Amino acid sequence: MQLVAGQNGGQRVLVSGMGSELGSLVAVKLEAEPWVGSLMGIDVDPPRRRLRRAEFHLLATASHDRIVELVTGFNPHVLLNISVWEPDARVGLSHARRFTAESAQAIIAAAADCRALEAIVMRSGLEVYGRGRGTPTRPDESAPLNPTSEFGKMLTHLEEQFNVFAMRNGIALGTLRLAPVLGKHVPSPLGRLLRQPVVPYSALADAPFAVVQDGDAADAFVAAAARRLREPANLVATGAITALQSAMRGRRIPFPLLGPGWGLAGRLSHVFGAPIPDHVVELLHRGRLGDGSRATELLGVAPTASTPEVIDHLYAWESIVRVGSIRPVVA
Amino acid sequence: MMSQLAERSRWPVQSLDDYGRDPHLVAALSPLVRLRWKVTVTGAERLPVDTAALLVCNSRRFSLSAVYAALALSDATSRTVRFVGRPDIAPLGSLMRRVGALLAHPADVLCALRDGELVLISAAGTADFRHAGEVPDELLEQAVIAEVPVLPVTTMSSLISRTARVAVGDAVPAEQVRQDLQRMLDSYGRS
Repeated sequence: MQLVAGQNGGQRVLVSGMGSELGSLVAVKLEAEPWVGSLMGIDVDPPRRRLRRAEFHLLATASHDRIVELVTGFNPHVLLNISVWEPDARVGLSHARRFTAESAQAIIAAAADCRALEAIVMRSGLEVYGRGRGTPTRPDESAPLNPTSEFGKMLTHLEEQFNVFAMRNGIALGTLRLAPVLGKHVPSPLGRLLRQPVVPYSALADAPFAVVQDGDAADAFVAAAARRLREPANLVATGAITALQSAMRGRRIPFPLLGPGWGLAGRLSHVFGAPIPDHVVELLHRGRLGDGSRATELLGVAPTASTPEVIDHLYAWESIVRVGSIRPVVA
Repeated sequence: MMSQLAERSRWPVQSLDDYGRDPHLVAALSPLVRLRWKVTVTGAERLPVDTAALLVCNSRRFSLSAVYAALALSDATSRTVRFVGRPDIAPLGSLMRRVGALLAHPADVLCALRDGELVLISAAGTADFRHAGEVPDELLEQAVIAEVPVLPVTTMSSLISRTARVAVGDAVPAEQVRQDLQRMLDSYGRS
């Protein structure tokens, strides 16, 4: 990964949200970077991957003082905030809102005391642009933030908090606005919905959306940290797809729905383990595209998998992975 | 395996482009479009081969001139020509997006131009097809911002017959495009 001028090896990097699928993938990639000297992570869940160099701390988001103590003691040069709970991905809306806010509050309080801190890279999403009537089809980074879903509002508030902090303290702030992230084992309400045997879609709109693969999102975080990204960048895979097309690609049964049908479908889907939060309903009705060309310019990396390819991978996963016997074979 | 199966299948299994246009649907609708309009295209060689341009056409009320002009120019150049004028409401807006329509929103036009696309906008509709209406300034100025050429495109069609004509003029400064459109339309009257 290309470094910015004057940057050398031995950088201390903190990943908030290292336990998540995306966070642990970012950590694995950071461990392989020559410019990363030491790596520390915090999260409420243990990392999903084996990490060899990283130091991990399992902490509840409410442990404000402990987080501040650990982070200030580590005194990172770069801070990656991936502690964002998407509603109905791992927890419901109210918990997602609370965990995201508590985590951000603790991280910002800790960052204020870190003298070595040079840059922050934070996770955001295309949901911040909203999908109200008359909003651009493919918003770029200059489009106004006008969220129309709960997740969008959460992310916009998070961006505002970090922006204020970064401006006051003269710290570079890079914001990665990700399209819905899909990948092997990524807890995503959209991914879960599309993998159901019956996939609902909007009969009247069947709007197009784009996604991004988890590996590509992780590469973008590493590049943003290495290059000290100083502005927002959309991260979107090329191409687009609709829910109907996704269902057809995955050999699922597409189920057309009109207005009132969505309420019933949402409840049924919840019962079957795939709740449909409002930002996913919005995506299915109004679409979610974004102009990701700036990210390629700024980061020097572009998503390797197109939207249809990510969707194909989604359906290529096995529902049950059989790992065989755990007993050692005796000769 | 799944992707191979999907690849073997036909529409609507395929995907869309970055703007939500469905090339397979466009291909499927082509025979219907040809049933309605028999379009003669002239001057298509003036369009850039692989860079962006803003095309401005005259529009007779209820003639759907932007639709047939964009589809005819796409056929003639083998490049996607996107047209502006999609309503932001389903199901019409969704269908128009699938055939390459953009919102009449400056950000949509600028995004496509910066992406190297050919974008067709319409002057205000008039009752007389020989009269070029007002060109929307907020869309026209996106060509200046994106630093791409502006080309006038005249369209002529009848509400009852199939015959339609699309002619592309030389690139002109953005502020002169309406006069140039009018000059081209006037020259038809003399020929």
